[in-house]
Amino acid sequence: MKDLLRIKSLISAEIEGLLNQQVKKEAYSSSVYLSMASWCNRNGYDFSADYFFKQAEEERTHQLKFFKYILDMGGNSLSPEVSGIKQEYNSFREVFEEALDQEISVTNSIKNIYARCMKEQDFVTMEFLNWFLKEQREEEYKARRALELFEVIGEEGTGRWQIDKQVGEIKYNSEA
Amino acid sequence: MITQLTQTTHWTDVFKTTKGAIYQCDAERCWYVDFAGKVARFDYRCLLKLRKSVYHIDIEHALLNTAKDPDVEIIFICACDHCYVLTLIQIIALKELLEGTFVMLELNRILNDKLVISQ
Repeated sequence: MKDLLRIKSLISAEIEGLLNQQVKKEAYSSSVYLSMASWCNRNGYDFSADYFFKQAEEERTHQLKFFKYILDMGGNSLSPEVSGIKQEYNSFREVFEEALDQEISVTNSIKNIYARCMKEQDFVTMEFLNWFLKEQREEEYKARRALELFEVIGEEGTGRWQIDKQVGEIKYNSEA
Repeated sequence: MITQLTQTTHWTDVFKTTKGAIYQCDAERCWYVDFAGKVARFDYRCLLKLRKSVYHIDIEHALLNTAKDPDVEIIFICACDHCYVLTLIQIIALKELLEGTFVMLELNRILNDKLVISQ
């Protein structure tokens, strides 16, 4: 008996489901960052607003990467519904704390898909995910560095103004 | 509706229960679902959609529902020629049939993989 499922699709239904969940997660992240950009802009943190606009754009790119990969492998990509985006934050610091939480949750989710791929010996998807694992190093570094600025600069006096300026300068250029 | 009498290609049994059976036709690259008094042809996309819609039915909720509506579910699959109107008992039977089928298809995949590796 021919393996008709395999002929039609390279990825299994389980992996397809997980990847579709990831599409939704990336779309959610993108919307969260957009909301953070809006909050920062409204409160006078323009450099941070730009930083979050960029982050929102990046998450959207990640979403499309997953979306197109599923289609290329013969799967069915589902356009996600995104709801429940928090629009208000209590403080400048809280925005960055939540940004880091968001990145950690994305990293965990990708690790989870990777673990499933290992179990199924889906080396093709594992190779695809490698790019994301590396990307998460950068994303988490940037989010952590932003929070670090709150510690080293301090929020007193013109501290928040300084932090905002420095957030615009955060870069990750590790060769490793 | 297709009956066994019109069958001209070779069908392989994938999974059978007392309530129905699913066959695979390699030549047509499709499956034939013999259930609820009819044999219906499903291609790859439609079979996955059928599985999804059957799995999504909350059987426990339907069993506990005391409303006077008849316990009937209509399974309509977008872009597919077939539609099922099933009672709860039939849905449980169809779910069992589909679960068994996908386990067998997975087993077939593993066997095919092993054969390719050993060649």
